Amino acid sequence: MIVSKKKPIEDLSQLLKRYNSFFLIGCSECASLCSTGNEEAILNLKGWLEKEGKKVTGWFIAKTGCQILGTKREVSKYKDLIDESECILTLSCGSGTQTIVELFEDKPVIPTNDTLFIGNMRRFKEFEEKCRACGECFLAITGVCVVTLCPKSMLNGPCGGYKNGKCEVNPQRKCVWITAFSILESRGVVDSFYESLLGPKDWSKASSPRNYKAMEKGS
Amino acid sequence: MGNEFVITVELTPPKGPDVTVMLNKLEGLRDLVDAVNFTDSPSAKMRLSSTAACKLALEKKIVPVLQMTCRDRNRIALQSDLLGAYALGIRNVLVMTGDHPIWGDHKEAKPVYDVDSSHLLKIIKNLNEGKDINENSLNGKTDFFVGAVVNPNVEPLMPQLKRFEQKFQCGAEFFQTQMIFELERLKIFLDFANKYDGIKIIVGLIIIKTKKMLNYIAEKIPGVAVPLGLIEKVSKLRDEDVEKFGIDFALEMSRQIRDTKMANGIHIMAISKVEEVKNFLNLL
Repeated sequence: MIVSKKKPIEDLSQLLKRYNSFFLIGCSECASLCSTGNEEAILNLKGWLEKEGKKVTGWFIAKTGCQILGTKREVSKYKDLIDESECILTLSCGSGTQTIVELFEDKPVIPTNDTLFIGNMRRFKEFEEKCRACGECFLAITGVCVVTLCPKSMLNGPCGGYKNGKCEVNPQRKCVWITAFSILESRGVVDSFYESLLGPKDWSKASSPRNYKAMEKGS
Repeated sequence: MGNEFVITVELTPPKGPDVTVMLNKLEGLRDLVDAVNFTDSPSAKMRLSSTAACKLALEKKIVPVLQMTCRDRNRIALQSDLLGAYALGIRNVLVMTGDHPIWGDHKEAKPVYDVDSSHLLKIIKNLNEGKDINENSLNGKTDFFVGAVVNPNVEPLMPQLKRFEQKFQCGAEFFQTQMIFELERLKIFLDFANKYDGIKIIVGLIIIKTKKMLNYIAEKIPGVAVPLGLIEKVSKLRDEDVEKFGIDFALEMSRQIRDTKMANGIHIMAISKVEEVKNFLNLL
């Protein structure tokens, strides 16, 4: 999922201070799992805004905020309430926010979250980055994403900086290459892995902004 | 690098444009050592360029070893800087992935790590064959003598040994180890390394000067394992006795390495004064 966290309240206050009425839009996908775009998050934000003397004209939770046409259909039902507000607040990731910007070009749209990373939920409200969406997946080879989980994105084994199997950059974390190496060992492929050199990585596949059309021939 | 026992030292270029102190050290080192290694902003603390320091060493008739890390340059900059270094007369390169910026004085910097040190070795192999990493032809060939680093201290050791093997296959002609405090650990690595013909190994050592220095190395230098027994032994010494202990400790290791032909040479790291290298080498 796309992991997001609420902006610090002081930052949000600063962004909102010139507006008095708001329409709030959440998202039922990742932001709900992160508790940054679900009903509870919306009602908390609504309560805080009202306590600050602001008006909330209405709210709704988009099914999938990054799905532009679907969100356009859903949002059309709230047109009057949105027109009544001076500003839209989005409780989603940066993608969902930009759907709303595209649909309401003339109205200020302010995200209430900062978008962090693509990650997994370990326990409730505990997230770990797992994927950098680099466009060239090596997981079939290494099992864990060394591009993401190694601070130096080492593709061919660890650097010389680990101590007792812990990462040089964050000694609380196990060096991901120690994990990857165990995976290679348990699969019996250490020697074949080291017969060639993985990479160098083709970063052109991660060159933003990227577009992808799955319907195109050859995709 | 022939069959003689090689002695190199490491110098860190200055933090700033004034090279007077470095040049004075070079004058003093000229007749003492075989080559001087210039670090590439070690511990990610920004310093004067290693290439520039190598050029200044050449002007002083000293053989320089250019340390080059993958931390701050993408593959274009690495190749471009290597060609530049070659044009300036630099022939020895020691490549490493490089300490992460989190350790340095520019923690906010974007870490590059476009390629790792194995790829950088391959890049140099290509430059020596007159082509770049993408096999585009160059207007000539370089003739670098290229080395890589290996850290026999780490646990678990096998992933490190496999990288050593890989670096050898990517073209490393010599290896310099991370600083060593236990010959037993070094021997485990050497038993593995000696399977490969023609490999030259230089053992990294330091001359312990103060308790503070040893504690700093134990805690702050990535991948360095100082045995607890050594830390305890040094901590029990009187402060004024540490320097003598440090020289004796390094001498004992160096003599064993040299006399048993365990490796091809030693590399003295983290030196502060030329005098200490001179005293040490006189006794060796």
